[in-house]
Amino acid sequence: MAGSKSALVLCMDVGFSMSNSGPGEEPPFELAKKVIQKFVQRQVFAETKDELALVLFGTEDTKNPLALDRQYQHITIHRHLMVADFELLEEIENQIHPESQQADWLDALVVCMDLLQKETKGKKYDRLNIALLTDLNAQSSSDHLDVIIENLKRAGITLQFFLPFPVKDDEEGGGNGGRRSPGHPGTGKGLSMEQKDSVDMMKHIMLTLDEEDGLDQIHTFRNAIEQLRMFKGIERRPMAWPCQLTIGSSLSIRIVGFKAVTEEKLKKIWATVDAQTAQKEDVKRETVYCLDDDNETEVQKDDTIQGFLYGSDIVPFSKVDQDQMKYTHDGKCFAVLGFAKENTVRRHQFMGNQVIKIFAARGDEHAGVALSAVIRALDECKMVAIVRYAYDRRSNPQIGAAFPCIKRDYECLMYVQLPFTEDLRQFTFPSLENNKKFTPSETQLSAVDSLIDSMMLVEEDENGEKRDMLKVHHIPNPAFQRHFQCLHHRAVCPGTPLPPMESWLKAALERPEVISERCQAPLEEMKKKFPLTQVEKKKKLKTSAQIFGKDSEVPDAKKAKGDDEEEEEEYNLADIAEGSVTSVRIRGARNHLNVCQQLTHRIEQLLGNKNTHYYMKSITCIQAFREQSVKVNKHSLSSIWEMHDHFTGLDSCCLTDAITLISKDEVDGSFVSKNEANQFLVAEEKKEETTAPPAEDTGDFDDLVSVKLLPDMHFCPEGLNVRMQMSHNIVQNFFLKPV
Amino acid sequence: MAEWNAYYRNEDDEEEQEEGEQSGGDYKITGRDSLVFLVDASKEMFIKGEDGQPSNFDMTMQAVRSVYTSKIISSHRDLMALVFYGTEQSKNPRNSFKHVYVYHDLDEPGAKRVQDVDALQGEKGGQLAAETMGSGETSLGDALWCCANLYSDIKLRLSHKRLMIFTCRDEPHGGNSTKDRQARTKASDLKETGVVIDLMHLMKPGGFDVSIFFRDIVSPPEDESELGLQLEPCDKLEDLKKRVRAKEQKKRAMARLNLCLGEGLNVAVGLYATAVTARKPGAIKLYRETNEPVRSKTRTFHTQTGSLLLPSDIKKAQVYGKKQIVMEKDEVDAIKKFDDPGLLLIGFKPMEKLKLHHHVRPAVFLYPEEGEVKGSACLFSALLTKCSERNVFALCRCISRRNYPPRFVALVPQKEEIDEGKVQITPPGFNVIFLPYADDFRTLDPPQFPTASQTQVDKMKEIISKLRFRYRSDAFENPVIQQHYRNLEALALDMMAPEDVEDLIMPKAEQMDHRLGPLAQEFKDLVYPSDYNPETKPAAKRKTADTGGGAEKKPKVEVSEDELRAHVQNGTMGKLTVPVLKEACKQVGVRTTGTKKQELIDALIARLGS
Repeated sequence: MAGSKSALVLCMDVGFSMSNSGPGEEPPFELAKKVIQKFVQRQVFAETKDELALVLFGTEDTKNPLALDRQYQHITIHRHLMVADFELLEEIENQIHPESQQADWLDALVVCMDLLQKETKGKKYDRLNIALLTDLNAQSSSDHLDVIIENLKRAGITLQFFLPFPVKDDEEGGGNGGRRSPGHPGTGKGLSMEQKDSVDMMKHIMLTLDEEDGLDQIHTFRNAIEQLRMFKGIERRPMAWPCQLTIGSSLSIRIVGFKAVTEEKLKKIWATVDAQTAQKEDVKRETVYCLDDDNETEVQKDDTIQGFLYGSDIVPFSKVDQDQMKYTHDGKCFAVLGFAKENTVRRHQFMGNQVIKIFAARGDEHAGVALSAVIRALDECKMVAIVRYAYDRRSNPQIGAAFPCIKRDYECLMYVQLPFTEDLRQFTFPSLENNKKFTPSETQLSAVDSLIDSMMLVEEDENGEKRDMLKVHHIPNPAFQRHFQCLHHRAVCPGTPLPPMESWLKAALERPEVISERCQAPLEEMKKKFPLTQVEKKKKLKTSAQIFGKDSEVPDAKKAKGDDEEEEEEYNLADIAEGSVTSVRIRGARNHLNVCQQLTHRIEQLLGNKNTHYYMKSITCIQAFREQSVKVNKHSLSSIWEMHDHFTGLDSCCLTDAITLISKDEVDGSFVSKNEANQFLVAEEKKEETTAPPAEDTGDFDDLVSVKLLPDMHFCPEGLNVRMQMSHNIVQNFFLKPV
Repeated sequence: MAEWNAYYRNEDDEEEQEEGEQSGGDYKITGRDSLVFLVDASKEMFIKGEDGQPSNFDMTMQAVRSVYTSKIISSHRDLMALVFYGTEQSKNPRNSFKHVYVYHDLDEPGAKRVQDVDALQGEKGGQLAAETMGSGETSLGDALWCCANLYSDIKLRLSHKRLMIFTCRDEPHGGNSTKDRQARTKASDLKETGVVIDLMHLMKPGGFDVSIFFRDIVSPPEDESELGLQLEPCDKLEDLKKRVRAKEQKKRAMARLNLCLGEGLNVAVGLYATAVTARKPGAIKLYRETNEPVRSKTRTFHTQTGSLLLPSDIKKAQVYGKKQIVMEKDEVDAIKKFDDPGLLLIGFKPMEKLKLHHHVRPAVFLYPEEGEVKGSACLFSALLTKCSERNVFALCRCISRRNYPPRFVALVPQKEEIDEGKVQITPPGFNVIFLPYADDFRTLDPPQFPTASQTQVDKMKEIISKLRFRYRSDAFENPVIQQHYRNLEALALDMMAPEDVEDLIMPKAEQMDHRLGPLAQEFKDLVYPSDYNPETKPAAKRKTADTGGGAEKKPKVEVSEDELRAHVQNGTMGKLTVPVLKEACKQVGVRTTGTKKQELIDALIARLGS
């Protein structure tokens, strides 16, 4: 509704006394500025329609419509009434400084009133408010006090004061004599004469405006900052859902439902923008359809129809048919199917993400009485109503339970969705009780007992009243808080990294301090009583032995030899596209040569990408290749190593996986001896240290073969180059001899 | 291009994760599940029970059918096979086994298969079975061998292999030790390749003795603690279905996390989704000409240059307070990160502190992962015992996945429950209830009403007790999904019309009225004045308490034509409310089908403005 906004004037004292502070204290000016900043931030991110104006007083300049005849001097209207935005935030950040004048705060108040009256004319506002932030340190004349109060009353303007020092409880109430402690933060020193006068005037105003709670609207800067640190929650207007509760065909009660609890999401989603221009319009997403053939032939959207899978069958099913045949119902309904014991509806079977509260239709007393009878009867019988709920004709009907809820000041039914058969997954889990291995001993149980004792969050205090230390439902959603904090930071300080999480938010997500202290000893005890050992994770990467151990004999009789190549190619491509090559299969030894060629080709392709990720994949390929070669006794194509061009990253990986060259031990007829093969690795290492040419002698380096050096190598480009050359040499030396 | 594919695939994956419950954490599921029904087709299976009870064979077919149809809905990618043994006829891939009849090869279940199984049900089904397969010699060894071949012929990666034997004969080979031995060998071969063999033994006169033969055939329980062999045979269809279903679903953790009690005290736990809203499956696009599925590719490109945009060319932005705030995609993710995934114990609270209406999403189930951290099960069990004994829940902070913001959860202890048939009804573990934050509550302004008198309440109690029933969470099928699948079935099988779906969540008004008898009227007499009609539409809204529920007042919504004209001229039609406008339409004789305010206004202006 258009009328649900309020108008607010922030009126801040920037006069010279605001900069005065005791040693080690933040000057009132800075605190007041923070209050304003936080407040405006909240307005901006909550995207309220509330309008804000900013009036400064104590400024050098004078800029206000009342400033005639040396009246209303040093008061500046900084911003007229409008919705808060980042511009205002930036202005507050950059343009508001302490100034050297002093102005009468009552004059400022009059300027604000005038502004409100002029600028809200003809528009509808819920609330008109002026917030005055000042230390009250300027001389002010109380001449027109009564007129001002009268005007405030007539215009329905409310007032709030924000001061550097507290005023409530002191002098007030006469008898109790609770004098303000002089050391209160922000006060610094005793109040000046002017301040005392001003305080009296302020109280006079506030109490005249609201006899009972007037003084509640006087805050200190610190309290305000404390309260404003949270970003405003997202407020949503509850939508009424009028309906009829029916029991059988003849009994119905007029009701209205409201969403009471639901998982709230952020209203805005991230738009994708072009990185350079930051324009949303520069980025376009497009979806095209193509056939699942080799050419990926594109198909126009109009040439597609929709279908569904029925198990393995594809059933073409046009939208029109679907709409005609789909389940339809009579629309909006809240119909009782029957009543069931409350304990048969289990808490953990609640479905959906909301709770709806059901009241009788507003203003219908008879419905109120009828519904009250239902609620009370259910409550007394410990029963719930099982109902069919449909929001409207377009939405799917649900099954759910309506629980009775009787509060001090109202009664209602609470509706929660329950599962359909299709939603349930009946898992069975091994019993924990009947297993001796898992059965805790008595001492173990008592350790848990004392842990629970030490960590109880609900305790009785001296008066026997239960106190809950951590009410989760009072904590604002940390995701929203963090989100706005980061957005705000980016908007105000572009180009700087995101800020750390605010400490209060962090603390809200941890154990309360009392608890974490108290549970130290029981936790230590638990540690002793319950041995926990991390089970070694199985290696993620399969070794080639595993790969070839079982899977290599994938029989594929059907495939013609010609197809094979393409099959293999596709297989690899598919895996690579998925980025999850962990196994390489090679079919039978029959066409080893063929496979070798493909693998070589594939590895070349992979290496072409020059990226560690792909190197890892090629390693897998090479491992596969190597194993296969060993197996089939065809050392032939050590030609892999010809690809020395790409060795930059690869050879270091070779080391990791300890891929040695195929030696005679493994394949008869290889002209590489085991020593030589090992040397392939060793030479690499040696190079790191000496850059000497590889030792031609076949000294026994076996013991030296290790992969320890590896991590360093990645960060050593020169070393790599040298080794690249090396690899080349080795390849030349050992493998390129004619067979 | 490879990079491109990878990029978009990732994005898709993310989407899947959002809604998907199956993938999560570092646990990735590959391959498909498979299930082979190996059904005894000997004469004994066809003997009818007393009092017209269905035969064991009949019951088995119904169980198989229900698994088929539920698989089609829940996980149609899984492979299923139906094999009979002890038949006269033989039918298997290479026809190398006698008396083994592969009715359905290992494949995804489809409409046709459901029909096939339907045909085998009931009396006619028995006849059909006798005609096509007959009953003959039994060699379980051959049957198992044949099943092994079914598995090995599959070229897909199978993640979970299960074989269920349905029989009512505890000595299938009548004491022939050679055959027994052969069967044992084959069974152990199968088990070695990762197949889990279950026995669904059925009622037989004199009782079914598992220890004679089948104990050596079936897989040992997953670990010692499992309930193991169901020692009592099934005699009810419901039981059989339940047992089959309990075994047939492979449980998968949606996440494996550490439950941290304190520094250095981490219990490994798995999160399981036990109730997930089943939705109608999404449609797939087909090419009009050939009905073959098409793939969709999504590309992001620059509007001006038309060039494809790489992930690095893209940033994310939101507008607040007239300012666009831009962040890198990484930063957007980083904002959501509060801590590594895991559960952190905050403390304990008495159960009554868990409010019924603190509900924001379906609960998940927590069970220890002994395989990750040894000793977890013991600590978990101790915690479970004590929490349930002291009637407290554990309050935890839960980050279920990487870059997921935290939620507070209540771990509510749940003791194991077993029904008469030794089937677990509720597993032991904690139910994880997600708790709302302050933002998740909406401020309501509850209307005030007088409360009902005790006589009124008592009358309602009578009504309630007449309409009470036992609620079972699995009793209600979703009519929307059921209808959808019936439609598909009808189309897939060229049926004339889809089978009727009984809408189980429709109130049975007639029955209710009958049961209530005069109670409904009596209650109405107690709470409603004689002239009150709750059925009347909004008009009744105007009636307030002080009219004493008297005669219905006509809503005072009319405006005179002159007033209307004035509004039209001044352009202030917008001030009138929709009911007023509707009334005005009637008054001046404008026929309008629209219900939107602007439509009504336009119609009125068209009439009056001219």
